[in-house]
Amino acid sequence: MIPSLVLLLVGAICFYISTPHRLGRGAINFCEAGQIHTLDPDKMTWMQDIRVAMGLWEGLAQYDPKTLQPIPGVAKSWTISPDGLIYTFHLRHNARWSNGQQVTSEDFLFAWKRILHPSTAAGYVTMLFHIAGARPYFNSLAAHPRHHKPFSSVGVKAPNPRTLVVTLTHPCGYFLSLMAFPPFFPLNPAAMARFRTPEHGIASAHYNPRWTRPPYLVSDGPYYLAAWKFHQYLELRPNRYYWDRRAVRCTTLYVRNFPDTQSAFLAYQSGAVDVLSFVPPRFAPALLRQQRLHLRDDVHYLPVFGSYYYNLNCRHKPLNNPLIRRALDMAIDKQAIVKHILRVPDRPLEVLVPPDSIPGYHSPRGLPMDIAAAQKLLAQAGYPGGRGLPIFKFLTNSGAAMNIRIAQAIAEMWRKNLGVRINIHEEESKIFNQDVVHGHYDIARAGWYGDYMDPTTWLDLFRTGNPNNLTGFSNRRLDQLLHQASRQADAARRLALLHDAEKLLVTRWMPAIPLFQYSDGLMYNPKRIGGLATNIRMITLLKYIHWIQQPLPTVTEGRR
Amino acid sequence: MKKFILSRLLQSIVVVWLVYTVTFWLLMATPGDPFIGKKQPPPAVLAALRQEYHLNKGDFHAYLAYGWQVLAHGNFGPTISYANWTVLDVIRNSLPVSVALGSMALLIALWLGVGAGVLGAVFRGRWPDMALTVGTLLGISLPTFVIGSGLLMLLAVETSLLPSGGWGTLRQLILPAFTLAVPFLAYISRLSRASTLDVISADFVRTARAKGLSPMKVIAGHVLPNASIAVLSYLGPATASVLTGSFVVEKIFAIPGLGEVFVNACLDKDIPLVLGIVLVYTVILVLMNLLVDIASAMADPRIRL
Repeated sequence: MIPSLVLLLVGAICFYISTPHRLGRGAINFCEAGQIHTLDPDKMTWMQDIRVAMGLWEGLAQYDPKTLQPIPGVAKSWTISPDGLIYTFHLRHNARWSNGQQVTSEDFLFAWKRILHPSTAAGYVTMLFHIAGARPYFNSLAAHPRHHKPFSSVGVKAPNPRTLVVTLTHPCGYFLSLMAFPPFFPLNPAAMARFRTPEHGIASAHYNPRWTRPPYLVSDGPYYLAAWKFHQYLELRPNRYYWDRRAVRCTTLYVRNFPDTQSAFLAYQSGAVDVLSFVPPRFAPALLRQQRLHLRDDVHYLPVFGSYYYNLNCRHKPLNNPLIRRALDMAIDKQAIVKHILRVPDRPLEVLVPPDSIPGYHSPRGLPMDIAAAQKLLAQAGYPGGRGLPIFKFLTNSGAAMNIRIAQAIAEMWRKNLGVRINIHEEESKIFNQDVVHGHYDIARAGWYGDYMDPTTWLDLFRTGNPNNLTGFSNRRLDQLLHQASRQADAARRLALLHDAEKLLVTRWMPAIPLFQYSDGLMYNPKRIGGLATNIRMITLLKYIHWIQQPLPTVTEGRR
Repeated sequence: MKKFILSRLLQSIVVVWLVYTVTFWLLMATPGDPFIGKKQPPPAVLAALRQEYHLNKGDFHAYLAYGWQVLAHGNFGPTISYANWTVLDVIRNSLPVSVALGSMALLIALWLGVGAGVLGAVFRGRWPDMALTVGTLLGISLPTFVIGSGLLMLLAVETSLLPSGGWGTLRQLILPAFTLAVPFLAYISRLSRASTLDVISADFVRTARAKGLSPMKVIAGHVLPNASIAVLSYLGPATASVLTGSFVVEKIFAIPGLGEVFVNACLDKDIPLVLGIVLVYTVILVLMNLLVDIASAMADPRIRL
């Protein structure tokens, strides 16, 4: 009797403290694909974190929800010097923080100085290296924390609180769209001051990570963070000081997440969640079929700015021979993989940068599937019929059943068409990433989502010395082309140079075998929820989300 | 008694330290780097991250640094995968969820299990006993993910009687608590059936019957208290396994508990978080065993501490 009383009491107390006590009425429940890892805009690299940050903060520019072109944000206008190097931003007088303070150019200076400090450990810090003096400043801090270059050597100036002048090292056509991306968001120095941790060294830019938690987090975007229950939900409410307050029509937004896509989908089907930020891969073929038959209209699925490919380790024999790499590519029936394994309308790829995704950029033509030519290439390399080739070590990460199925299909194609054999190793993500970074593989699965709308987000992966160059590929001609492109002020000529670089990569050098372009999407009922738009980068702006028609309380939700 | 408790507490400190040491070195021996993800930051950023998590000066330095942090500040600092939350924050938020779920499951297991066990013993060899034996066999041998998914399909998806998952209402607690309870329920019912059978044939029970007490009174007043000692001593380990074993149930029913956090922390090689959770589990297990020993001594005068 006593143990059961104790159990009852303990259970009741724990249940009480672990459950949310108030859930707003009329709230929209937005389900993310993964847990929120951090709300520090300088440190985030995960899509779900970035999406929430774009609801909480606003940079100098913001994205147009449909075209993703940069439109005025905190800056009401800007001018660009004729050589494309100096950007002058004019901040609007009514841009305010969620605590009512004005957003000033000093706030941007503060944030950019912080992210450029190595101790901030910002994953996307290299994006700021477009700014003149930023890379030397960062490197000097990393090398000599005590005798580093002054921040005034970086090309960012705030002549007055309403003006910010940025000088670039080279013209950058997509610099404005970077202004809408989290690493460039302003931070509120006053709100963060109390979280400074001097014990990490006087020169450090280290803050206690609690500053991102409510009620301390101060942001300047459409919403403010009202609550954050670990692993349960984030509660976003409209920031009443936001200059574009009228565009924000949702009164309460819950950002939630589930341990796996299946339980999330169940919650969506039962009405506990209104928007899914993904289409669950396991159900995607069936859902798309129902959509085609007009049985449902809530699947919003499209090709996105990401590609699935295989890295080839170019450091060792025999894969350092481009003939073999090209042979491997030409012996794969990519159409069959998409049709029979993925069973969704994904697009097979011959190139690395998803075609037709970047305005003004024309993708080159890659190599077609041609088994006879592939066999010839292999013979030319000295391995007719695959004789004399070692068994290649193929690495893939666990977690998605699709990876193994694709690898098995390709292994069979290579064996049948070329006589090439591979050994498939499946590893936990952390181990897989480590092995790939250290080059312990011959062929490895890879996927990449572009970080900004420019071909270099892919092409840079094969530049000598880039930490993200996982293939060990190094080619002076490619490095030269990329360098020339970075100095080229004329946008069309620059893209032409990049076109040449990609053409050489996918027709001659082939350090990676492109397979298909990712597709993804949203799930929501378009008759009930408005203000959401799908776009190629899956940047769903939470700002405009609103009810068109609120649902009646359902069985599962009604008793809250 | 006092001396016993004191010496057990001293032993516990050694146990906790040993668990910390073994866990730490096991973690260090596993492959994988917590800071290498899909996108590689510049080397200076990686170095800063390693420094922040005490992983820049070799493994032994990290071992001492984390140990010192726990002793001096009672915390492991921020986690690696959820950098805005310290290990303590994570445990504070997720442990109550798992404890609430676990204690409800144990409560169900205890009541239904003991009930079924006594019923089986009373009707020994007849059809209710047979049915219960088959039921408990199924309960012990079927894995929770089968029971959980089955119940989910039946009661949530097909009939919408109960919510499919989530956390926040009592209705959401029913399915996962019952699923988690099933194996413990089955085990407790076997345990209490066996000990009831032992007691039922004892002399004092015959005496009680001979005095003319009704069968109900004999069971409730004489058999049950004596038969429940075995169940009581099982509660200690059961508490530990109900907490650590709730991972599957938490995953099926989308419950934000510590089990899911723990498994993901191991996969992500989140060193401070794994250490923190293992230590919390250890402390709970050690304390529960101590409590159960004290409770058994109080319930059974033959046991001396």
